[in-house]
Amino acid sequence: MGHPYIPNTREIREQMLAEIGVASIDDLFSDIPEKIRLKKKLKLPAQMSELEVKQDVQKMLARNKPFTQMLSFLGGGLWPHHIPAHVRSLVQRSEFLTSYTPYQAETSQGMLQALFEYQSMICELTGMDVSNASMYDWATAIGEAALMCARVTRRKKILVPELMSPERFSVLQNYALGPNLEVVKLGYDWASGQLDLSQLRAKLGQDVACVYIENPSYLGFLETRVEEMAAAAHKAGAIFVVGVNPISLGLLKAPGDYGADIVVGEGQPLGNPVSFGGPTLGIFACRDDTKLIRQIPGRLVGATTTLDEKTRGFTMVLQTREQHIRRERATSNICSNEALCAVAAAIYLASLGPRGLRELAETCAANANYAMKKLDAIDGLEAPIFASPHFNEFTLRCTQPKLAIKKFNAKLLKQDIQGGRPIKDEFPEFGETALLYTTELHRREDIDRLADAAAEAVGARK
Amino acid sequence: MKVGEHEVPDGLYYTKDHEWVKLEGNLARIGVTDYAQKQLGDVVYVELPEIGKVVKRAEESKAKEMELGAVESIKAVSAIYSPLSGTVKETNQVLQDRPELINTSPYEEGWVCVLEPSNLEAERESLLSPDAYVVFLKTLK
Repeated sequence: MGHPYIPNTREIREQMLAEIGVASIDDLFSDIPEKIRLKKKLKLPAQMSELEVKQDVQKMLARNKPFTQMLSFLGGGLWPHHIPAHVRSLVQRSEFLTSYTPYQAETSQGMLQALFEYQSMICELTGMDVSNASMYDWATAIGEAALMCARVTRRKKILVPELMSPERFSVLQNYALGPNLEVVKLGYDWASGQLDLSQLRAKLGQDVACVYIENPSYLGFLETRVEEMAAAAHKAGAIFVVGVNPISLGLLKAPGDYGADIVVGEGQPLGNPVSFGGPTLGIFACRDDTKLIRQIPGRLVGATTTLDEKTRGFTMVLQTREQHIRRERATSNICSNEALCAVAAAIYLASLGPRGLRELAETCAANANYAMKKLDAIDGLEAPIFASPHFNEFTLRCTQPKLAIKKFNAKLLKQDIQGGRPIKDEFPEFGETALLYTTELHRREDIDRLADAAAEAVGARK
Repeated sequence: MKVGEHEVPDGLYYTKDHEWVKLEGNLARIGVTDYAQKQLGDVVYVELPEIGKVVKRAEESKAKEMELGAVESIKAVSAIYSPLSGTVKETNQVLQDRPELINTSPYEEGWVCVLEPSNLEAERESLLSPDAYVVFLKTLK
């Protein structure tokens, strides 16, 4: 019998062999010396039927433990939120699902309009004037921002906080490698985590292309002196770039209102699930300044009218910046985007509205602050380790002697609780510390359960 | 002078890449020709070279160090190739806000930059006279 997926039968194979004048398939390998030929069968399992494969894979999958079935506090850059059912059902419409990046863009008016709405909402949220149609993720958006700042200022130095996400830092360094940009880290205040302003001022010279900060920071705290940072950067002719979790902007001042020139961030929490680390959505927006807009990476969608000015329509704009026209002079090699994730973000934001987003941000922050209070009250634990305001992520240090954070997490896991992301390898100076998050998915009793399990893990009295 | 609808003023030098050069003492003012701007169509952006940039005279095989920025129209981008080796002394900042001057006044208000040539005597002969440029333009038809 033939193979269910491979349509050449024994008869067809024999016909083909006859056609080319060989007796057997083995004859096709006659050029390979006898002594190096494999004489035995490969160690592969026998062929399985479709049903058997399905059962086999199901058995394997059953060994996974989806975090949706546990209580998770695993912070560090991606955040699960409730995604309203209509977001999923709308993005799964084939008109959106199969479009990818529009190549014959103007024939996909619906897709362009959805992306235009996404860009408009990102601008409103970040306080910027121009947003692109998305990048791959937060990290690549930082890399693109650094390249853009270097092109605009014709300078080569990028200043970043020492406490920025190490993964994002690593991506930024990759981007910096080709054009020879120098990425320089800025120190922080030990007690508060706040970026050291005097160091920033000292390092800001005529060679600095941009100052990048994260707010909320990777370790959860908020930078409180952002206006001074913006002023210092601008005084030296540098561009001020701010990285954000967009949910936080329901509550916090828009970066555009405190001096940001470019805003980047992770758009995943806007209506996109967390699954094996993605899919992610890079936010990239800038101020209305011709110098900046000419150099912005990625695709831009604009609104226009037909010639008789009666019908509104959408087009790709400033395409001459892009690779298919500008070739090696393109502002970025990214002509692609995360269109479907951006559409999901647009639908999600439109569903929440400004008030919904504010309530969501408040809940996330309130939950984190409640969790910090509960955990900090436990002997042998400290949360957060920085005396600063926090949004929805925070640090938790295990001060119990001989209890490593990984051991502590293992104890939580026994109770089906996923603890924070250990940051000891990334920042050993903070000792046995992990990074936790909360969102609206955590109920009060969930946080109480975490606190109880944590107290038990460190052997403290309840 | 005029070839078809293309202006080719006297007193300038030209290149086969459609740049013009006007010698002003020991400096050279550079722009793109009427033919070039018509080929490009509506210019929407001019990428100017950096002041102090050292450029090489453009040859058959092009390289980045022969470029004096680029001119961008709605659907195309073309590099501006340097007719001479030298150092960029001045750029036409007005083009930042009014790139359309390349279309409306390619030989006057739409100049791109001023270069201090480093090897003018030797390189001058590679430039085309207006007559030679006119002959060249006719071969393109």
